[in-house]
Amino acid sequence: MSEVAVKPGRHREATLYHALAGAGEGEKRTLAQLREKALAHYYTSELPVWRRSGFWVTSLETLDLDALMDQADETEPGAGAPGAPAAGEIPEVVTRTLPERARAGRIVQSAGVVVHVDLEPALKEKGVILCSLEDAFRDHLDLVEPWYSKRLTIDRHKLEAANAAFWTGGAFLHVPDGVIVEDPFEIVYAIEGPGVAQYARTLVVGGKASEFRVTEYDLAEDFEGQALHAGAFELYLKDGARCRLSQLQDWGQGDVFDVSTRFVGVGRDAYCHWLPALLGGHLVRQHLELAVSEPGGDMAFRGLFFTEEHEHLDVFAVDLHETGPSGGDVHWRGAASGQSRASFEGLIQIDPGAQQTHTYLQIHSMMLSPKARIDAIPSVLVSADDVSASHGGTVGELDEAAIFYMQTRGLDRPAAVRVIVEGFFEPLIAELADEPLEELVRAKVAAKLAAARDDIEAYATSR
Amino acid sequence: MADLEIRDLHVRIEEREILKGVNLEINRGEIHALMGPNGSGKSTLANTLLGHPTYEITEGSIIFKGEDITEAEPHERAKAGLFLAFQYPVSIPGVSVANFLRMAINAKSEEPIGVKDFRTQLQHAIELLDVDKAFTSRHLNDGFSGGEKKRAEILQMAMLAPDVAILDETDSGLDIDALRTVAEGVQKLHDEQGLGALIITHYQRILHYVKPEFVHIMMDGRIVLEGGVELVERLEREGYDEIRQEFGVGV
Repeated sequence: MSEVAVKPGRHREATLYHALAGAGEGEKRTLAQLREKALAHYYTSELPVWRRSGFWVTSLETLDLDALMDQADETEPGAGAPGAPAAGEIPEVVTRTLPERARAGRIVQSAGVVVHVDLEPALKEKGVILCSLEDAFRDHLDLVEPWYSKRLTIDRHKLEAANAAFWTGGAFLHVPDGVIVEDPFEIVYAIEGPGVAQYARTLVVGGKASEFRVTEYDLAEDFEGQALHAGAFELYLKDGARCRLSQLQDWGQGDVFDVSTRFVGVGRDAYCHWLPALLGGHLVRQHLELAVSEPGGDMAFRGLFFTEEHEHLDVFAVDLHETGPSGGDVHWRGAASGQSRASFEGLIQIDPGAQQTHTYLQIHSMMLSPKARIDAIPSVLVSADDVSASHGGTVGELDEAAIFYMQTRGLDRPAAVRVIVEGFFEPLIAELADEPLEELVRAKVAAKLAAARDDIEAYATSR
Repeated sequence: MADLEIRDLHVRIEEREILKGVNLEINRGEIHALMGPNGSGKSTLANTLLGHPTYEITEGSIIFKGEDITEAEPHERAKAGLFLAFQYPVSIPGVSVANFLRMAINAKSEEPIGVKDFRTQLQHAIELLDVDKAFTSRHLNDGFSGGEKKRAEILQMAMLAPDVAILDETDSGLDIDALRTVAEGVQKLHDEQGLGALIITHYQRILHYVKPEFVHIMMDGRIVLEGGVELVERLEREGYDEIRQEFGVGV
């Protein structure tokens, strides 16, 4: 846990990120112009490959994008393509998974179609807007235009361009100045069958001194065959706004590819607590940025992941400080079973002028199988001198001494393993500060452990 | 037949024989002390009794309440009513003492314990062992001092109410206050619940607070001398060397 100051440019990926971070894509352009520009990039670019120092590659070469696009092209969006929903019908996987609880509102998209929207009437009266992004462009252009794609790029790779060019449905949440909402807004993306290319687009704007929660669910049925979720998510918090943003992602047993970019911008004296729980997907690449954009902003960037079987997860998370004084605190935990691979790269980036920034990044990982692998790579890119930025972390396996200890108290081996792994994740799960969601995440973790039981047993006897 | 019978137990780790034929009988309601110099095999016996996978039994058997448990899984032994208080309890981050206790109690019984019953039992144990209530909401052994860890062991023992408990050098590294709490806790559980205990110790001082009826001296993997509490006094006077010479046991 040392204080590290790295000169700009020393870290390859950091430099790469720096060069590509193109703010302001959306400024003064119409949606049609942006779509057109993105489409041009889509046709001229290849599917992306992410490499890191030669030993880690996230490649989409097994993704048959043409087949997915053909299916999408054959019909109008949502009109009978495989896995396409009928409007008004909430997918079974959604009703089955989401906890029954009080909520501020919910928007559900299946494949390319928004199939359900509800919003607490009292909030509607206060000016809260929750609708599809398509509807928002029609009905609330003044609220959408200043923010749409403000900090997202549309040309870094083919799927980013595809999202910007082809997105349908989408979600728009606007919480006006001073509005405080206790229950969460739920934004749901579901894939019900193979052959779906879901280009998900979410825009959330929190007004001055607003306070609210957003929980995104990314869910799929267990199916055979490929599907794609290419997501673009942006959330902006104005002065003094406070937001707890959670995400529960479980794409099930199908070959779901998820390549998403998410940006959270924290304004003056605003605060965001962001916690993605990445709990399954055939191949997942998440590019996540949490940026303090104005003085006094503060953030807590949490995350947990659990990969199994042959899953492949690649997270690039940026703790970005564009101005000071600002605070940051990044804490991720991940476990891997089966032959899964997970890479978490966490970057602290402190831009020139972001003086009096204090941030810390920690990554803890736990291997549950001899063939699983987690790479945790912290890096620091500091371009200001009056700051503190440091990182730490642990890499662990199951502690046999702890298992024996619990066995002598009457717990059988699977129960003891469960206690250890749940205990490993618990500090972050508790930070969700939302009992129904916490229970759901705990249940998902427990189910994964049950599935990996033989694997874990074999691992123990092999040591 | 005694509640716990250890018959001609031979145990090795890798290729080295550590226990070379141990015989011992312990009943509910009896307090035994097992003493011996470092490396004599005391901790090996403790771990073997609970089925630690590292220790291989090559000969002999362990009979508990009439059942042969020589090959039983550790959790099965625990459910049958054996308990081990560890010399170095491991920390279990993310799980509070109270939640862990609830899990352990539920593992032992058919029906999950009711919230009220659990609270009552916990309150009783807390008072019995003179521990702070806030203690039970902390993560088990995580950041605990040596004394707190040992108190947590005794608290678990009180809640799980075993028939026979093995205390593996529970006294080592404790200041006198913690030592007294631990020793008095064992004595109370003996008096109130009829606990049978095997107190394994290198030193004599814990035996000033808890009175064993039976004392066994172990050297080089065997029990070489058995008797009553007068053996403790003899050890205090003469040390292990005299006994070692008397029985011709190598170091």
